[in-house]
Amino acid sequence: MSKKIPEFGPSTSRKRPRNEEPEPQSENGVVNSHSLSLEEDFAFSDTLMALRMMRAQFPHIQKVSVPPFVLQSQLYSSIKNRTEVDREIESLKREKVVRIFKLNTGQDDHAIMFIDDYISQIERVVKRMEENSKTDLVVFEWFKTHVVQSKLDTSIGHQELWSFLSLGGKVKEEHISQLISAGLLIRQLIDQNMYWFSIPNIGSVLKGLSQGRKELMSLLSRRKYKEMLMAALEVKRLRFSPLDMRFHLRDLIGSGQLKTIETPSGLIVRVAKD
Amino acid sequence: MWKETREREFGNLRPNLFSSRIFKSRISSIQLSNSKEIVSSHRGSVNSLQVDLTEGRYLLAGASDATVAVYDVQRATDHDGRGRISKHKSLFLINKQHEHGHKYAISSAIWYPIDTGLFVTGSYDHHINVWDTNTTQVVMNFKMPGKVYRNAMSSIARSHMLIAAGTEDVQVRLCDIASGAFAHTLSGHRDGVMSLEWSTSSEWVLVTGGCDGAIRFWDIRRAGCFRVLDQSHSQLGRRPPLLACAATNKKSSSHQSSAKARPPQRKSTNGNTVKSHGVARVPSQMKSAKQRSHPGMISSHDRATAHYGVVTGLKVTEDGMYLLSAGSDSRLRLWDIESGCNTLVNFETARLQSSKAIQMAVSQDSALSFVPCMTTVKVFDIWSGQTKCAFRGHYENVNCCWYNAQDQELYTGGNDRQILVWSPPKSISTEDDESKNGEAATSDQDNWSD
Repeated sequence: MSKKIPEFGPSTSRKRPRNEEPEPQSENGVVNSHSLSLEEDFAFSDTLMALRMMRAQFPHIQKVSVPPFVLQSQLYSSIKNRTEVDREIESLKREKVVRIFKLNTGQDDHAIMFIDDYISQIERVVKRMEENSKTDLVVFEWFKTHVVQSKLDTSIGHQELWSFLSLGGKVKEEHISQLISAGLLIRQLIDQNMYWFSIPNIGSVLKGLSQGRKELMSLLSRRKYKEMLMAALEVKRLRFSPLDMRFHLRDLIGSGQLKTIETPSGLIVRVAKD
Repeated sequence: MWKETREREFGNLRPNLFSSRIFKSRISSIQLSNSKEIVSSHRGSVNSLQVDLTEGRYLLAGASDATVAVYDVQRATDHDGRGRISKHKSLFLINKQHEHGHKYAISSAIWYPIDTGLFVTGSYDHHINVWDTNTTQVVMNFKMPGKVYRNAMSSIARSHMLIAAGTEDVQVRLCDIASGAFAHTLSGHRDGVMSLEWSTSSEWVLVTGGCDGAIRFWDIRRAGCFRVLDQSHSQLGRRPPLLACAATNKKSSSHQSSAKARPPQRKSTNGNTVKSHGVARVPSQMKSAKQRSHPGMISSHDRATAHYGVVTGLKVTEDGMYLLSAGSDSRLRLWDIESGCNTLVNFETARLQSSKAIQMAVSQDSALSFVPCMTTVKVFDIWSGQTKCAFRGHYENVNCCWYNAQDQELYTGGNDRQILVWSPPKSISTEDDESKNGEAATSDQDNWSD
């Protein structure tokens, strides 16, 4: 992958040299034997490319197994037209390629995860629960087959959850507490009957996310002109966050707290003044 | 511009197209006015601005120090800077010393839509006053159960004269000027109502945004609201033409039918929980049986939210098709009123103020929207969500803005007690020709003393 095109520049054109799937063939509809699958050849969009690229670049964290997710603000940093990003995420969600979760960091964060990663994470959690305890784990099967496939929103009401799980079998209150303790559902603070969908094992990563954001913002705010060269910033390591610098930079640029300026000596990252 | 006038003369250009081109070119050049200034006589932050709808001449402003003032924006009271800058002072000012004046901050002040003889103010002292403009006396007074956040009157109403009032109480009250009493109340919100607007296409439809994050549509002739906007019901862009919309309609109607199916579903599962949990659940089943009977109250079970925080501002476009809403989660959303879906246009807002309501404005052809974002007013293109420009001029947060379509001027009021005028630049040569001070003599007059 060439470094000529700055990674954080917004892309408006579709022809990017880092594309893995050959583009003209998919537009002509010719069957390409090198592509991963036929559907992926035709379902092509800037947002999907950016999602795949960022998922591949998700940092590897020791001790905690978290599947790769992409924050919505990271997508905004790469693709210029935000309305197009929103609409493509909505259509990907309806096609059941990705799933959106609202993260409880206190700010308005949404994480986008591919459904395959989500299902494999649920299975990993179920396997660990099987090793630890001998309780009945059939509710997770019902959850995977009925709730995940039918309910595409970020939250679900108690009655609706009950009716979806009942399609699998007789539901008891203990089943819902099992789901909550596994980390798949979180009760909402405002309304006791509503649950947020959540990613299991994500707690430590969320803490690292908010601390890493604060650390990066304070790093830049302490400097004299509140800016720093991107090249110098990239090699720094954050002390409080397991996620790498590139993750945080993309997130803060996309949410508007930092902005990048082109200069003759490269990109400069500066704290945005409102 | 001259080419277009020529085309108009020959009949190549239709009059509507001609006028809309001129409006567009003027709007795109709006900046802080170099020829007009409003001298604000308020000692508190300006909370509400409105230009009257009949003449487009008088600007009504309500402020946090309980003052209300009216300014004439077309005729200046005096001139400054060698006749170049026209200053507009207030025509009259009502403050706390007035015998029936408000005691606390005024949150909204609106003109009576039919003429400028009356205006209505709502204040944090729980009162709504109707004033006679010429005598500046209170003709009617309504007492509300809580702080009044906003009041509104329908500008297209032909058969009613109702003031809709949103307070910190959960019920929206409708006050009738003709009879002096409350007409009825609309319940359904779970928390106070911070913003409300009448629809621009029907005189019976009211849109309210609450502190619980929900936006509800009410038909005041019926009980209960007929639509609650849900931010997860979305459509991709404008509604597709009739033939192609069968597919998307199935999806959106399946969402809505699942919403309608929810109340009967809930009642049947309530029955299940009664069997397994015994006595404690019985009162809730009885409560749901009682609530089942009234069709108007089914909507109060609908907990869909339009924003993750408080809905701080609402604006219906002039054509009555779209609704722009601002929330304290710093999001602006554009809703298609007919289908009730979120059009997923992303407006790039970094932060919006969350404690106070904001007043937004939309240009007449619904292409641009003016939104107060902290200390600036940002101009967004409604369809793509891009920021066209940002007006920086206030020293503190901007609370309200009003777009005067007649002159293509924008008036903004903020916490710094100022009302600023933003207009297309006036060329200076026209000012010199008008000889306001009587100094501009003709160039060939003799200077000889006689």
